[in-house]
Amino acid sequence: MPSEEWKKLQEALGKAPTEEARKEAAEALRRHQEASGKKSSKPTLVSLGYNKDYPSAIPLDQVANEIERNPVFFEHIKKIVVKEK
Amino acid sequence: MLALPLHDLPTRSSSGFLIRYILPRSTPPQLLGLTDRKVLFSTLTMGDLIIGTGHGSPSEFCGHANEVVMSTISVPDVKGKVVYLVSCETAKELGPTLVQLGALAFLGFLEDVIWICDADLTSTPWADKLAEPIMMPIVDSLNTILDGKSCGEAFQVLQDHFRDRLAVEQDEFMASLISWNLDSATLLGNTAAKVFQRPQLPPFFGLGPPPMIFPM
Repeated sequence: MPSEEWKKLQEALGKAPTEEARKEAAEALRRHQEASGKKSSKPTLVSLGYNKDYPSAIPLDQVANEIERNPVFFEHIKKIVVKEK
Repeated sequence: MLALPLHDLPTRSSSGFLIRYILPRSTPPQLLGLTDRKVLFSTLTMGDLIIGTGHGSPSEFCGHANEVVMSTISVPDVKGKVVYLVSCETAKELGPTLVQLGALAFLGFLEDVIWICDADLTSTPWADKLAEPIMMPIVDSLNTILDGKSCGEAFQVLQDHFRDRLAVEQDEFMASLISWNLDSATLLGNTAAKVFQRPQLPPFFGLGPPPMIFPM
């Protein structure tokens, strides 16, 4: 069953990528990461995209900042997270 | 042919798993790191299988330092071959083009291949437990092809093993990434296509990983 933090993240990502919505999603992700407590040394979100408008490697603790800063990345994460059943 | 760039964190992570589990079963040419360049990629057309990982777009597939080694306007001889690309979005345009130009089958991804890896393991990326939920289903499906089974069976293995990982994944973000890659995986062309069966790795192979690769 999805956690409260995850539901809040999905809800925030479901909105249009306004500055306020991006900030809300970033906060929700930070809370989710805090709750899930990753233990690996340097967990990093990576992808094999070419010429994308977001980095191909983002340390997991920086993903929230990138969501907040970059509307394209917000939309990308939205497609991944919100679609989940 | 095996094309495995190593120039950044994502290519190291994906190539690392293929170095550990696929390279010992594959036949030359093997374009590793700096050698994964267009001039070699385009001319080395022997064999019945092209396996590659690297950055990609709908119409392009990249090698070392993101040099485009294959695109919809520059395709090497793929007639009668199976092509498996672990790369973003190449199933949108490049894959269909390869099949139109005679590739037996194409396995790849419609969307970004995206996963979590440990940036502290760039010299031993095959030991990265964080990357396993995405990379091991890909390795398992590649091994199915190397076992001489059909591309349809290999694609089924890919989907089943993603679903197995999804069923036990506790972390919601990781689960969403597995689900994303599962939905994005694509098989085009002849599902019954097969390649020459490669020998299994010897039983003692599992005792030791490959030597560390040079630091990034």
